[in-house]
Amino acid sequence: MKEISNLNEGNDFSINYPDSKELRKRILDVVEHAGRGHVGPALSILDIMDILYGAVMRNIDGDSNMERDRFILSKGHGCLALYVVLEKYGLIGNENLESFCSFNSVFGGHPESIKLSAIEFSTGALGHGPSLAVGLAVGAKLMNTHSRIYVLVGDGELNEGSIWEAAAHAYKHKLNNLCMIIDRNGMQASGNLEEVLDMEPLREKLESFGFLVSECDGHNREELIHALDFEEFDSDLPRAVIANTVKGKGLKEAENSPTWHHKAKISSEEIQILRAGLL
Amino acid sequence: MRQTALQTVYELAKIDSRIVFIGSDLGFGTLAEMKRELPNQFFMEGISEQHIVGFAAGLAKQGFVPFVNTIATFFSRRAYEQIAIDLALHQSKVILLASGGGMVYAPLGPTHTAIEDIATMSALPGIRVACPADPLEMREIVIASSREVGPWYVRFGKGGEPSIIDQCTKKTGFLKFFGQDDRPILILTTGIMLHVAMEFKSKSENFGDHTCIIHIPILEDRELDNLVNPLKNAKRVIVLEEHIPVGGLFTRLLHTAHKYGIDSRKFRQRNLLHEFSHHYGSQKDHLEYNRLSESGILECLQDYNL
Repeated sequence: MKEISNLNEGNDFSINYPDSKELRKRILDVVEHAGRGHVGPALSILDIMDILYGAVMRNIDGDSNMERDRFILSKGHGCLALYVVLEKYGLIGNENLESFCSFNSVFGGHPESIKLSAIEFSTGALGHGPSLAVGLAVGAKLMNTHSRIYVLVGDGELNEGSIWEAAAHAYKHKLNNLCMIIDRNGMQASGNLEEVLDMEPLREKLESFGFLVSECDGHNREELIHALDFEEFDSDLPRAVIANTVKGKGLKEAENSPTWHHKAKISSEEIQILRAGLL
Repeated sequence: MRQTALQTVYELAKIDSRIVFIGSDLGFGTLAEMKRELPNQFFMEGISEQHIVGFAAGLAKQGFVPFVNTIATFFSRRAYEQIAIDLALHQSKVILLASGGGMVYAPLGPTHTAIEDIATMSALPGIRVACPADPLEMREIVIASSREVGPWYVRFGKGGEPSIIDQCTKKTGFLKFFGQDDRPILILTTGIMLHVAMEFKSKSENFGDHTCIIHIPILEDRELDNLVNPLKNAKRVIVLEEHIPVGGLFTRLLHTAHKYGIDSRKFRQRNLLHEFSHHYGSQKDHLEYNRLSESGILECLQDYNL
């Protein structure tokens, strides 16, 4: 793995990779316009998205470049985070993000590849991303390219059996170019995972499926880079990064609140409350 | 037909390295030669239908052309969401080779009989549903599917059917005509029902010469639009399909009739009952039971009061 000091080339890390408060504000702006959105699930993955696109993934601006790293947001409902990060890095052209969820928008409540070339696959129904990623990763190996394939799943999404079908095949094919990131925020729409369906011990489960597992604070940018920026030749194993996150991170009202998993008809009063608690 | 399909995939793969085969839950030794000669293009994956469809979509995104083979019901029931989203929505170039269409697996019971798969697959936008009648047509469809964009669902009939497609008197698109299409009796078939219709036509002294058979291997409007004149001209139209009565060929033809102002009251249908069968026996037993037979066609003809 690369060392942080090499990535930063001696610069102050916090300057190169500032926190995501501005991105959170942008999500709030978009939600205010649309009056709806999956706020909590976006905020738990916002730092992961920002670090992936800003510091880890290679050749992301050329969709015909077969050497580019790929990303699939399997938990498509977290798309507000993906959209604001793509906007930050100039990957959505002139499209207006504030049109989110409106009739002619390219920004739906779940991301669509037919609308934006920066979106690898349309996602929304849970449990699809890892199998798509296995296909991309096997394809990359068959073509002798060195692109790395990232797929981000929610910890609630791990309830889906198809995730584990894909996991078994990732190990079978020795997909050391594949990295499955788990957004471990401990909640799903129905409540806490430990009450609904506890998937712990997660590290042991993933290791038993043959993953090389690392764990990090999903809001600590140095830890995220360490965990996500890997070299294929370090191992024959597919990678899993358990990112410990907080649902609704950075908006006091929404943090760890299942109420803010998804909301429609969000009032201006509610937006004001969220803004007041912006961290 | 399955043998022909897989062998054709192998032949295509030999000349095009983008073509790959993905199997799941298939018999030991399937495509052993391809596995040996083209190991990078052969994948025998675990029993995981949801996964293999997504896996194929990922490969297609990388420019490969996956042919995926497992039992028809395991695609059409277990992996429906993956087929809808990963294939149809994305227009992924993936060809599903569905073994055991209709009552082929009748001895194995209702978990294995594909009675509604044409309806469910056809209901999805952007997927081509093909029901070839014999090995010649299977080869035609496999080759065509490898060249066209978007996903296909190819339904296999029983094994060992003789080739009869080459007896057709006319071809329009994928449609095959057997006899002049101005005949008063029109029998429309898909899949292996062509064999039943051909038996009837060749044996029936009273009706054979008055009958035209049109075989429809691909159920889509641009094919059916070519049937307007024969449907208008015929006095009796009999539709044979190894499928439940809704959502298959008959339903599509009703739409065609409605679209072109054709009187559909002259249509008669032979099909599988709209229920899970709790009988076993052979496919032939079930076709007889459902009157998908020469005598069943005769009964249909006697039903007319013209």
